[in-house]
Amino acid sequence: MKMAHKKALSQIIAAATLVGASSYSLAADTIKIALAGPVTGPVAQYGDMQFIGAKMAIEQINMAGGVNGSQLEGVVFDDACDPKQAVAVANRIVNDGISFVVGHLCSSSTQPASDIYEDEGILMITAASTSPEITDRGYNLVFRTIGLDSLQGPTAGKYIVEQIKPNKVAVIHDKQQYGEGIATAVRDVLTEAGIDVPLFEGITAGDKDFSALIAKLRQADVDFVYYGGYHPELGLILRQASEQGLDVRFMGPEGVGNTDISAIAGEASEGLLVTLPKAFDEDPRNADLVQAFKAKNEDPSGPFVFPAYAAVQVIADGIKLADSTDTEAVAAALRSNNFDTPTGTLAFDEKGDLKDFNFVVYEWHSDASKTALTE
Amino acid sequence: MAMPESLYYFIQQLLNGLTVGSTYALIAIGYTMVYGIIGMINFAHGEIYMIGSYIAFIVIAALAMFGIESVPLLIFAAFVISMVVTSAYGYSIERVAYRPLRGGNRLIPLISAIGMSIFLQNLVRIAQGSRDIAMPSLITGGIDIGPQDAFHASLSYMQMIIFAVTLVSMVLLTLFISRSRMGRACRACAEDLKMTNLLGINTNGIIALTFVIGAALAAIAGVLLGMYYGVINPYIGFMAGLKAFTAAVLGGIGSIPGAVLGGLLLGVTEAITAGYFSTEYKDVVAFGLLILILLFRPSGILGRPEVEKV
Repeated sequence: MKMAHKKALSQIIAAATLVGASSYSLAADTIKIALAGPVTGPVAQYGDMQFIGAKMAIEQINMAGGVNGSQLEGVVFDDACDPKQAVAVANRIVNDGISFVVGHLCSSSTQPASDIYEDEGILMITAASTSPEITDRGYNLVFRTIGLDSLQGPTAGKYIVEQIKPNKVAVIHDKQQYGEGIATAVRDVLTEAGIDVPLFEGITAGDKDFSALIAKLRQADVDFVYYGGYHPELGLILRQASEQGLDVRFMGPEGVGNTDISAIAGEASEGLLVTLPKAFDEDPRNADLVQAFKAKNEDPSGPFVFPAYAAVQVIADGIKLADSTDTEAVAAALRSNNFDTPTGTLAFDEKGDLKDFNFVVYEWHSDASKTALTE
Repeated sequence: MAMPESLYYFIQQLLNGLTVGSTYALIAIGYTMVYGIIGMINFAHGEIYMIGSYIAFIVIAALAMFGIESVPLLIFAAFVISMVVTSAYGYSIERVAYRPLRGGNRLIPLISAIGMSIFLQNLVRIAQGSRDIAMPSLITGGIDIGPQDAFHASLSYMQMIIFAVTLVSMVLLTLFISRSRMGRACRACAEDLKMTNLLGINTNGIIALTFVIGAALAAIAGVLLGMYYGVINPYIGFMAGLKAFTAAVLGGIGSIPGAVLGGLLLGVTEAITAGYFSTEYKDVVAFGLLILILLFRPSGILGRPEVEKV
């Protein structure tokens, strides 16, 4: 214990010195981009995806000469996917005088933080928040390089209706903005198609015991379950469901699609259906970029890696096109141009959403691999 | 005559509730014993439970790495090592954070306890990482109660182990408190700490002992729930601690049978609420029940009204 403690302490000191050093040495003539998302907390995996994608983009843009003669510098901020911390992070970004943000990750963090960014003239691009409400408020400086729940929900719902054709479906969510939003969208598609949804229920994120819920699912005799939320809870639900003899197929959004779900649920994660953004790392056009990630021993297969890369690139290209770091000018440039990125050619609509984004249905396997079931 | 499906459903929810309730009870005893003797809420107790889980995971992973695959041996080792290490934690916490503050204002150790809780949570976070750690199930399978073709209640072997271990721990604790010399000293301390001290009992030792017993029981809960759910992270102590504290207050804080009753009642209430109303409201109903009972019985179900100590 003592050893570990000492080591941890020295790491903190080393990290602190490093951060101090980098912010001083690069202080002159850099454009800072805040990378906001969870470094700690139960969904830190997704934060990593976003950070490695954004950092890779910053590195490559700097290697290619930077933006209008300036180098980019990424500064990581940890919001732990907690709305309260997200607001604190946003205020720190304002105080630090940073004008560009790539983040946040969880919709419930992005929402309150974006209020501050819009007020303070900071341009924000989220690479992961899929809640429609974020871009629904007529904000000028809020963008995203990922699709919306209002697209993802119908994709999932359509697949269930057309391919699974179940009789009774239970829709469960984690009562958070992201999970409940997407679960509601799925339920609406199902009920419209005449499929019985006898159970639409919320659980508490962070809960560990779902035995009561599973008994309820067994009694309701459902033959399919859709879960809107993240992997820690779904992983436990899958595990406890298989232990208690509930033998139905589950489906979830991209928030459940990462390798940890297989670590938590083990064999029970076999056959889980997940909607994810297209696997950009399998696109042959991105082979060089994938190699660059692998060379750094990083995993490019996470759903938010490439959208985060694209977000940084779009900011850099926007600054070049506007020939200024004025966020209003950059925002105008984003809305009026097309951007060629590893996630495809991106164009933004008035709200700041992508004009075109596709979700794909995957089948998950217990070894954490996945196979695409739709185009 | 075939029993109706709804009965099996009720049995299932009851079993689910009793399983969770048993572990609440194990943790709640730590709160209630400490309160009974020094009148202080040890808010770091939930973290002890979390540390117990972590130690079990580390022990099982380490032994498995050395090629030991006998499940009973793994579980036994996890219990023993986890209890020993968390007992040391319990003792040290009392020594470092509470004993130097004893005798002063009652609120001071309370703040110290909250600080200790934050410290322990972050210590584990730095040492073990903040992400979920998962372990494959060691014990699988179970028995079905009722018809195979329709809805039936199922009781897993793991649930049975939880019941059995909880029961054995309770019996041993009761015997210890009611029969042994040290147990008698514990009861005397709970009745009147100053008087007991005057009669030549080492009260500091007894107080340390209650922390150690509480920590060991929390470790048992940590090992059991860690194996039952298979997933742990450094934040599990907070909610578990809160629920166990609620159970202790519900049953009457200071009373050991009260803590057990409170734990079981809380677990069953949660399961029944989730099963018959909505999973969303299980915490609301559980805490609502606490408020209701405190309104009508401020000292909890089995608690004695507070005697003003002169």
